[in-house]
Amino acid sequence: MVERFTSKPLELPAADRPFQRADLIFHGLDHSGASFEGQVFLDARGVGRDADASHRAYVGSFFVFGHGGCFGDVGHCDIPAERDPFDLRPPHQLEPAVRILTVTGAVKRLLEREAGAAKVTVIARTAGREPANVLAFEKVRLTTYA
Amino acid sequence: MSTSSPSPTQAPRALRHRRSVRRLSKGQLADLREATAAAQAIGDDRGYQYWAGIHGLPLPISCTHHTELFLPWHRAYLYLFEKALQERVSGMTLPWWNWTADHAGGIPEAYARRRAGGRKNPLFDSPIQPSGRPNPRQTRTVRAPGAPGFLPSADEVEAILRNRDFTTFQTQLESIHDGVHVWVGGTMANIASAAYDPLFWAHHCMIDRLWYLWQLRHPGAGVPARLLDRALAPFPLTVRDTIDVTRLGYDYAASTAAAKGPGHG
Repeated sequence: MVERFTSKPLELPAADRPFQRADLIFHGLDHSGASFEGQVFLDARGVGRDADASHRAYVGSFFVFGHGGCFGDVGHCDIPAERDPFDLRPPHQLEPAVRILTVTGAVKRLLEREAGAAKVTVIARTAGREPANVLAFEKVRLTTYA
Repeated sequence: MSTSSPSPTQAPRALRHRRSVRRLSKGQLADLREATAAAQAIGDDRGYQYWAGIHGLPLPISCTHHTELFLPWHRAYLYLFEKALQERVSGMTLPWWNWTADHAGGIPEAYARRRAGGRKNPLFDSPIQPSGRPNPRQTRTVRAPGAPGFLPSADEVEAILRNRDFTTFQTQLESIHDGVHVWVGGTMANIASAAYDPLFWAHHCMIDRLWYLWQLRHPGAGVPARLLDRALAPFPLTVRDTIDVTRLGYDYAASTAAAKGPGHG
């Protein structure tokens, strides 16, 4: 778990591929701990720990309603590595989440500046607004829709 | 019956309207308080603690968050909780908290006042049963709301309502929902305890209402067919049962007015 993360540069769509909408999709988000806001910055040079929604690179936030810890015995919150295809029970409570943040305007503005790629920075803040080590996800993807 | 949107033309006779908490009449608010207080006084499976406990602690945590069943499961949950309250006060309905409006007001007054009518306000807080406490010392619900400006705006909600795909709509709506839980803070800020706060139900009515509005706006879209027969444990309902709110006996009409007709005499 970390309090902030910056991705490798994500390739922006080519100028000859017009789009109506652009989404940042965060896959595999952990929600086992405290609830938090993930503040998202695009192409964010110099985003410090205190950066907030007023920063020029801020493009929006996603939120995660967390479980607040494990209240069972040892192993209760371990997600099974495999699932029997005939298992009709609901999925494990802590199966990772997905969040979708629409960033159409921000991506178009980057393209106007002829940017070819952009890093994604996420800062996680819990209810007290301080950055906290609650952020974990598997992948972030930029998808555009014509 | 459509599987994608409410069908107000087929509404049952006794359809009830869930209203904005800021627009409740004195009588409607009194009914809500009376029903909540009565449920809080019952210790068995008709009571407030039982229903709040289904969402989180005591284990198992039955709510579905971060899954495809988020909206249907919570619609079923609200429906059954409201039924339990209606057994205490016939005809009452749960209100919705429109957190896109009146940001300066923060938490609605109906829930923010410690006392109402010379008595303790049952919407202000609630006891938490010992087996429902994430922290053993937290015997009652508490809140620690953030700055009003951090609540979702009407523009944010409008952008989400424009989604035509259910899965994308639900995922983005759940994120905003999560943000309001974070904003209220305290007991509401984690899954294990959130439903013990009386404000939880008004927040989720708002979420349910936004799904209802999305259904009206996109009548051709709907819940993916593969989900319709999924059970919403522990409730005796499937996803299909939750699609049409008028079959559940309520809707979210913005306003209603009625007058008697000439009759058949």
